[in-house]
Amino acid sequence: MTRTRWADLVGLLARLALGGVLVTAGGLKVDDPTGAIQSVVAYRLFDYQVAEMIGLMLPVVELALGILLVLGLLTRWSAVAGTLLMLVFIAGIASAWARGLSIDCGCFGAGGPVAPSDTSYLTEILRDVGLAVAGLWLVVRPRSLLALDAIIFAAPRHTIHPVTKGS
Amino acid sequence: MPRPPAHVPPPPQSGPPVALVAGVLAVAVAIAAVVVYLVMRPDPVDPGAGEDGAAITGVGSSPNALPNAGGIRVGDAGDAPQVHIYQDYQCPWCGLLEEVSGPAFTEAALSGDIQLTYTLMTFLDGNLDTDHSVRAANAALCADDQGAFVEFNAAVFAGQPDEEGQGWTDEQLVGFAEDSGVEDLETFTACLAEGTHTDYVRDMQTRSNQDGVSGSPRVFIDGTELDNDQMATLLEDPNSFPAILEEVAG
Repeated sequence: MTRTRWADLVGLLARLALGGVLVTAGGLKVDDPTGAIQSVVAYRLFDYQVAEMIGLMLPVVELALGILLVLGLLTRWSAVAGTLLMLVFIAGIASAWARGLSIDCGCFGAGGPVAPSDTSYLTEILRDVGLAVAGLWLVVRPRSLLALDAIIFAAPRHTIHPVTKGS
Repeated sequence: MPRPPAHVPPPPQSGPPVALVAGVLAVAVAIAAVVVYLVMRPDPVDPGAGEDGAAITGVGSSPNALPNAGGIRVGDAGDAPQVHIYQDYQCPWCGLLEEVSGPAFTEAALSGDIQLTYTLMTFLDGNLDTDHSVRAANAALCADDQGAFVEFNAAVFAGQPDEEGQGWTDEQLVGFAEDSGVEDLETFTACLAEGTHTDYVRDMQTRSNQDGVSGSPRVFIDGTELDNDQMATLLEDPNSFPAILEEVAG
């Protein structure tokens, strides 16, 4: 395996990690609107109206970005958005931690309060940092194995094969 | 003889422009998100008459249900300290709270020391993918129709399944009603079947979220949320409520 091919494989894994988590998170929440809203309310960062909007609309965005990443479609753009989302999530969890709230991150559906000893802010943040790194890799180097990008946007930027027949 | 320069064909079309595709997709996702928001958004509940001493006007769903999905009142102690409990019938900690400190709440309410209000939350249905929380909450209001909310409330918690999410059958709920002194079981059963109070129940959940209550059990005394230590005490010691009431309500 060449180095390029290895890098393409890493790209595929990064896509599946970030995309897979986004699809799961979005799918679970889209199925439970009350829980999704409540999870945002639990952060105590927004007015109810805003929390409701975020709770209902964020899962759709997560699902869409996740599907694009898994398919490898518009990889760089989706990765930019996915990485930004992770940074926002990290900030949100860190703020809940800093304010001493006892909540579950609500990342995968109904979060809300948990016993103070059951909070796992560090794990949640580390997971999101890992996913942000996966996203960054794809922003820098969007090429990966088994990506729809390669088929749909097959830009012939490498070599233009001259017609050599009949020489 | 030098070859003639090879004919170089124009580069093939490089597919659709990426920016265009990205833009179209972004707009499509935004539209989908707005549609989901508009369709899934719970009907907002007008918080008009709060429980904080506000006049009780209009009608709730059952006799003791406050208007504006404000919850179910126990007793009528007027301007005594307001104790507001938020609970979901499927929540094990709520069951423990009722088991340990429920009698103290009820006693204080019925002797006029506090004005007690219960808000029945139902978010665990979404979490557990069931409808037991809504059914049990509806049933509690059906019991309230016949003046048996307090007893029924205790009975549902006492009859919580071993495993969260297993819920109760309609027969079980009717059994609780019978044990709680509901006399007209036929009306009660019809009330269950029709989900008579379901709209009010859903509004109580929406109202909870609107009021920033994001989990259960929660206890508020005169609008102040009890902290973790106070909750832990109530969950442990059946005789702890009066002291906590004194501490918070002064």
